[in-house]
Amino acid sequence: MSEKYAVIGKSVPKIDGRVKVTGQAKYTGDLKFPNMLVGKILTSPHAHARILSIDTSQAEKLPGVKAVITHRDVPALKYGISPARWDENIFCIDRVRFVGDKVAAVAAIDEETVYKALKLIKVEYEVLPAVFDPVAAMQEGAPQIHDEYPRNINTEIHQNFGDVEKAFAAAHHVRTDQFTGQRTYQSPIEPHSAISIWEDGKLTVYTSTQSPHYFQYYIAREFGLKMGDVRVVKPFVGGGFGGKLEPTGLEFAGAVLSRLTGRPVKMFYDRHEMFAHNRGRHRQIMKITTGVDKDGKILGVHADFIMDGGAYTSLGIATAYYAGAMLPLTYEFENYKFDMYRVYTNLPACGAQRGHGAPQPRYAFECHLDMLAEDLGMDPLELRLRNARRPDTVTPNEFKINSCELKACIEKVREISGWDKKKGKLPHGRGIGIAVGSFVSGAGYPIYRTNLPHSAAMIKVHEDGSAATLYTGAVDIGQGTDTVLCQMAAEAMGYTYEHMKIVAADTETTPHDFGAYSSRQTLMSGAAVKQAGEEVKRQILETAAAMLDIDVSTLDCREGVVFCQSNPEIQKTFAEVAREFFVRKGPLVGRGSYAPPKLGGKFKGAAVGTSPAYSFAAQVSEVAIDEETGEIDVKAVWDVHDCGTVINPALLHAQVHGALFMGMGEAVWEEVVFDEQGRIKNANLSEYRLPTALDMPEITSQLVESCEPDAPWGVKEVGEGATIPTMGCYSNAIYDAMGVRVYSLPLSYEKVWRALKEKREKEAGGG
Amino acid sequence: MTRPLTRCGQNEVKRGMAMYLPDFDYYAPASLPEACALLAQSGPRAKVLAGGTDVLPMMKKEKIAPEILVSIKKLHQLTGIRETPGNKVVIGARTTHNELVNSPVLQKKYLSVCVAAHRIGNNQIRNVGTIGGNIVNAVPSADLPPILIALGALIKLTGTGGERDLPLEEAFAGPGRSAISPDEILTAVIIPGSSLTGSTYFKFAHRRSGALAVVGVAAAVTMEGEVCREARIALGAAAPTPMRAKKAEELLRGRVVTEELLEEAGRCAAAESKTRTSIRGSADYRRDMVRVFTKRALRKAIKDGHS
Ligand SMILES: Cc1cc2nc3c(=O)[nH]c(=O)nc-3n(C[C@H](O)[C@H](O)[C@H](O)COP(=O)(O)OP(=O)(O)OC[C@H]3O[C@@H](n4cnc5c(N)ncnc54)[C@H](O)[C@@H]3O)c2cc1C
Repeated sequence: MSEKYAVIGKSVPKIDGRVKVTGQAKYTGDLKFPNMLVGKILTSPHAHARILSIDTSQAEKLPGVKAVITHRDVPALKYGISPARWDENIFCIDRVRFVGDKVAAVAAIDEETVYKALKLIKVEYEVLPAVFDPVAAMQEGAPQIHDEYPRNINTEIHQNFGDVEKAFAAAHHVRTDQFTGQRTYQSPIEPHSAISIWEDGKLTVYTSTQSPHYFQYYIAREFGLKMGDVRVVKPFVGGGFGGKLEPTGLEFAGAVLSRLTGRPVKMFYDRHEMFAHNRGRHRQIMKITTGVDKDGKILGVHADFIMDGGAYTSLGIATAYYAGAMLPLTYEFENYKFDMYRVYTNLPACGAQRGHGAPQPRYAFECHLDMLAEDLGMDPLELRLRNARRPDTVTPNEFKINSCELKACIEKVREISGWDKKKGKLPHGRGIGIAVGSFVSGAGYPIYRTNLPHSAAMIKVHEDGSAATLYTGAVDIGQGTDTVLCQMAAEAMGYTYEHMKIVAADTETTPHDFGAYSSRQTLMSGAAVKQAGEEVKRQILETAAAMLDIDVSTLDCREGVVFCQSNPEIQKTFAEVAREFFVRKGPLVGRGSYAPPKLGGKFKGAAVGTSPAYSFAAQVSEVAIDEETGEIDVKAVWDVHDCGTVINPALLHAQVHGALFMGMGEAVWEEVVFDEQGRIKNANLSEYRLPTALDMPEITSQLVESCEPDAPWGVKEVGEGATIPTMGCYSNAIYDAMGVRVYSLPLSYEKVWRALKEKREKEAGGG
Repeated sequence: MTRPLTRCGQNEVKRGMAMYLPDFDYYAPASLPEACALLAQSGPRAKVLAGGTDVLPMMKKEKIAPEILVSIKKLHQLTGIRETPGNKVVIGARTTHNELVNSPVLQKKYLSVCVAAHRIGNNQIRNVGTIGGNIVNAVPSADLPPILIALGALIKLTGTGGERDLPLEEAFAGPGRSAISPDEILTAVIIPGSSLTGSTYFKFAHRRSGALAVVGVAAAVTMEGEVCREARIALGAAAPTPMRAKKAEELLRGRVVTEELLEEAGRCAAAESKTRTSIRGSADYRRDMVRVFTKRALRKAIKDGHS
């Protein structure tokens, strides 16, 4: 690859690595503005209650308090990130729907005063019955959470492709299993914060965001502002994982507080408030039925799911569709039925978390397939190989798959994990398991309906050619897009990475981009950047041709040197040509934009899950189980990915490690737990247990050769795909080790212990 | 006192949530008598502040609301780990967990204490949290009390009324309640000289760092060949306070150690324990873990000495 490409395919240092490790990088919480106030939101202590009265008079009198606001002071317009279901208000008007719902906000001269003022706001509530379980919430007579949604059904999906019943009737074997997921939370290391500055009719918001564009769009909409009068700037961001995709009370309340006081207002969530705001993973109850022929070929699948949405929609409609839409990606079968209810409960709202809707169903499906394989007396890896999707195929729900090396991934992971030597042959207490996954490389359609291109980019070469700046709306939230896009820009321009600068994710200075979600930026933002770079290169070559007085078609440019292809002795530096361009014509600028082709079918919800390209992965893990305690010790994980052409191997493998870290946490430890009044019991990093460095297994991350035809240089996604197989993979390994199956996430030590105990008791009883 | 206190009203709304540290008056007396006098004079309004890793989070969560914090950071006689005549080890109350971990004296004599300290929290916590705080805070899951109780430790207390020694196992009144009176300061932990041949502590937690114990089990034994002369078993997170598993100990005394005996001791300790269901595990799981880790701790203390 190094010969073919000069800049991409190399593990160049991260463009922001130095400022981050030295602490120079400024996150929103680090920023200060003259006269800045501090704002804080008062939230509901009840899971469901009617607001009888709000008295802010005492708080207003406290010295240092500059504004106190409630629903009376803000637009009543409902908002939400899913356009089909706007159901949130900046502040609750008559009813609170979960512990943590927004009721009022204060701006004051400092944090101490803000906290004191919050305590002085008197809210009278009439507590209403609450419901915390989606199945209970769907029953007649359950507390009604939103008047507009009978039986609390927020979204209902019934999709039917082919004829599942016929497939089951013809099948050699059919089985049904049920699994349950859990609520997890993204837990980015950086808490959300936002600084709003509303002056002279213009609102500027510095915020910890994954998408300045959606923030700009929804903030403008809420306040009736023109998009051009709202500027959203993303400073450095410390992780999002789906939790920072939509504007929160911090931006909405902050904007109003700034408008009222005429001063910048900084708002932030503490760790507890982050958990309460949530937008993390939905808990899904997943019934899944599959029919296979005697060789293990899948004939049909019925996925019948219910998800706990929490009190609001957030991005949950897409989540609900994704949960079913992603299942047929990995295996070829024609008959597929998907039923889903997303149900409101009096808990924090769920949204998009890394892998968006797909990881829990994938866990269910991959466990279920292992059980089918056992029924058939087949090696589960063979069963997967037999059904694995091939390139240039179409899924039953009409996703067009171009590149797909899933079979190669499975074969390779079989080899590097020593599968054939280990499966069923490890000593008691040790086990090995496999699971696969797939994910979109960018959503085929934006979140709200618009014909804007998905990404755009601009490159400006400095007057003397000593540097070039990439202007992109793409959003680096730690995953490294600033680095990767600069590599891509340099490659396309024939320039050097070391001389690239970047201005990113500022709606006023950078071109439009939808942002960091659905693993879209390497492909989509990358396509726009490539085009911009190529436009620069074309102008450089034309200018050089004029300077050298030779035919432009004989010239090329690479790593900052323009040269004649037939006689490389004839050359000029990129810098001198760029300078000459500026002298003759003014600024040297390249522009690019990207919109995916029209994708997907015509049925309801057909858009969700479409993508120009799909990544594939196969994962094997080896575990040791402590028979007496149920403790799971993951010894090693092998992950083999098909993610197209690799721009930066170090960043790519870091994504695999990071995704695996999250998948592992969700597989074994992480779960947001509530008491019987709907209050979170573990809204902290002590009892909400993310894995630590000591808990991480040895990871082998490898790739298979692959190139996506419809993508810049053949790239695909990696960031979310690697989270998807892990839970099922561990569950299958535990089964291989101990012969017990845990039907719910997380696969905690106690659940494994209990399953082992039950198995022993059953065996003792039976024998 | 020195300045008027600004008090926050009791707030039902945010109770239990992490938030802003409320106001308090801060004192750092330079001598022990001065500190005790201040405590005596302030009564329940005051609290001792050592590393603050328990006190400050509890104040932020509004679980406690002391008006006065009395720092012991200037009381230098509360520092240091030393061996004294009679084969005692005296550990100053302000000793941090990392000082325990890195102490040559402990590493040589009671590595088990270093191991237990090393399992506490994470490095940041171990750098500031103290042995005194770990004891006086009196949470059932604290990691140091079990191993110290197994080693027969005493604590040294100084109050306005003078000094007294108390067996550590008598220092706990209930979850979060120590038996130390509010005007007393814990000055040192004393591990007496003994003929114990081995000791160990097992912390069973949900991840390898930064997790509180599901159960913690410490065992200390005196072995004479195959015969167990003395056994002391102390359990953490298994009852409202750290507790001895005395029946299991009794079972072992004077007996030739076999796997079956250890298994029986484990079952016995489990039966003695008073585990409860919490976010870290249900009562029956924890009870069974007491069984498992009692057995394992005994086995290790018998085989590997103080480890
Ligand atoms: C993130 C985190 C993780 C933790 N993990 C663990 C863990 O794994 N295991 C564990 O056991 N603990 C853990 N803890 C709890 C805590 O760190 C320890 O209990 C620590 O030893 C407390 O010591 P300190 O010096 O910080 O006590 P402080 O918070 O200063 O005081 C605690 C209590 O003891 C009293 N006190 C302190 N010193 C004296 C004295 N000399 N005389 C009289 N009274 C005194 C105080 O008044 C207060 O009531 C954790 C805490 C945090 C924040």
